[in-house]
Amino acid sequence: MFRNLLFALLIVTLLVACGPAGISTPTAVSTEPPASAEPSAPPITLTDGLDRTVTLAGPAQRVVSLAASNTEILYAIGAGAQVLGRDETSDFPAEALSLPTVGGYSGFNLEAIVALHPDLVLAGGINTPELVASLEQLGLTVYFLPNPATLEEMYINLETVARLTGHESETAALVESLKARVAAVDDKISPLSYRPTVFYEMDATEPTKPYTAGPGTFVDLLIARAGGLNIGAELQGQWAQISLEQLVVANPAIIILGDAAYGETPEKVVQRTGWLTLAAIQAGQVFPIDDNLVSRPGPRLVDGLEAMAKLLHPGVFK
Amino acid sequence: MMIRPYLYTLLFLFLTVVFSIAIGSVFIPPADLGRILIGWLNKAAFSEPLKTFSFIITDIRLPRTALVLLTGAALGGSGAAYQGLFRNPLADPYLIGVASGAGLGAVLAMSIKWPYSFWGLMAVPAAAFIGALLTVVLVYSLARIGKTIPTTNLILAGVAFGSFATALTTYLMLRSTGELHRAITWLNGGSSQAGWGPVLTVLPYLAIGLGLLLLSGHALNLLQFGDEQAQQMGLPVTRARTLILLAASLATAAAVSFSGIIGFIGLIVPHVMRLWFGADYRRLLPLSLISGAGALLLADIIARTVMAPQELPVGIVTALVGVPFFLWVLRRAKNQGYW
Repeated sequence: MFRNLLFALLIVTLLVACGPAGISTPTAVSTEPPASAEPSAPPITLTDGLDRTVTLAGPAQRVVSLAASNTEILYAIGAGAQVLGRDETSDFPAEALSLPTVGGYSGFNLEAIVALHPDLVLAGGINTPELVASLEQLGLTVYFLPNPATLEEMYINLETVARLTGHESETAALVESLKARVAAVDDKISPLSYRPTVFYEMDATEPTKPYTAGPGTFVDLLIARAGGLNIGAELQGQWAQISLEQLVVANPAIIILGDAAYGETPEKVVQRTGWLTLAAIQAGQVFPIDDNLVSRPGPRLVDGLEAMAKLLHPGVFK
Repeated sequence: MMIRPYLYTLLFLFLTVVFSIAIGSVFIPPADLGRILIGWLNKAAFSEPLKTFSFIITDIRLPRTALVLLTGAALGGSGAAYQGLFRNPLADPYLIGVASGAGLGAVLAMSIKWPYSFWGLMAVPAAAFIGALLTVVLVYSLARIGKTIPTTNLILAGVAFGSFATALTTYLMLRSTGELHRAITWLNGGSSQAGWGPVLTVLPYLAIGLGLLLLSGHALNLLQFGDEQAQQMGLPVTRARTLILLAASLATAAAVSFSGIIGFIGLIVPHVMRLWFGADYRRLLPLSLISGAGALLLADIIARTVMAPQELPVGIVTALVGVPFFLWVLRRAKNQGYW
């Protein structure tokens, strides 16, 4: 009994000794002084999507992006040269592919992020608060860019990243051009009275129970803006499942294949059992689309809007 | 008291700790490692790149090593305790539903948007911990008949409730609005939070749980003869079983709350220790504890280096690497009827 007690004490002491005794206090990793455009730039203080106050001494020069949408935003506003690292899902633009990756699909590699010595880590809605907390604890400056719910919020995100990286003037021009393109689409759509019903297919590995974009998703937003009626808007949840029976009853005018990147083609859709009754298939109104254009919350959403509008109203958009 | 088993397992643990600190996705040359060690002893200040390497070691690798070590010790120790308690070679720490309860708690917590504060970040691990403990208490009360807790009832109630909790968890994941990826990553195991916070949070629970288990070696030995025999030999059977069950579940719940569900360590490590060093629980428990820690550390090292900079979930590595090793040990076992 006494031996057991002694042993237990020994184990517990060993475990406790593995604690922080003798470890130096964590200091922030030193970074090279940022080369800001203006000689005496005031510090940048912003509140991010997690209600955290983030302060930068000057525009960030060494940025690590943890989301594909953030990478697209950074390159679109002209901050591509300031990006040091990306996550694995970032595949646009092509210049981003040459950057080192720091994780993405199953967790992030903290060591790799720290070793890059970033002065700003740009997290997105797809990253977890735990990740932000872990990075913050390692002394890194993290800005959490929340997912926008509307196009206006997306413009605000662009302007925020512009402030963080010192590209305000270029971004103002970019936002103006994006707004003009969206206004052009709006102008052509508003006089039209015909609004085709759309089924946006997100996944149909089980053809009798496909998944579509529900209310509150970017896809839903863009379909409405492009002059269509999303069948998924009446369903529940963002990743909404619809049965083939419901689909037949709804009988969409147009089917858009959001899973085209995973090998779905209009020819394959025709061969699915039971789908031949759909009017869209008989009229040949099945189209693939690049899913990244309509699901990543970045400036390419406007590209997605134009692509969608062309599919829904081909007579008006050449 | 035989020294050699402890020597071997402690050596294994020591080596895995050293490798865990030295190896990571960022390659630190051994020469630099030596310089960093000497620098720590002299309290010298570092210049780049040693400064970054030293920072990586103290702030990323050391806390992670400590957390993985504690988790592995908890799983190994409670695995051995469960196997002794249930007298069943298939018993592992998740037998009576700790894993499913923890998963349900965690996924429930993930569906709520917590504020970004200390307690907000603690929400998911705390919910997992509470879920695990509530499951054990529920299963225990369901299985109790009068003053006794028949083993069969416990296993049946545990498996049934475990399936229920898993189904509920899957349903929640299907209805989730975007938390699916986070839930799957958590359920597959792996440390989600870095730093010393998780280590210090689980340490008291593990100290209590594992400490109690280490004192129960003799009781477990007696329980191997059956409840009536043990009672006749002077062991207060119900009290001992309840205590061991709760201590093992406490340790497992604490381990699972930050590290997710990591399988096979709790099942395989005690078996390997039993095959090599015999079934005396006074020795088996501490050995399972130490080698569980070492085994999980080894799996963690493999998980973060095999596909660097991408990290595999640890639960996958323990199964893929642990199972062939265990089958090899089983084939080589000289004492065929070891159980």
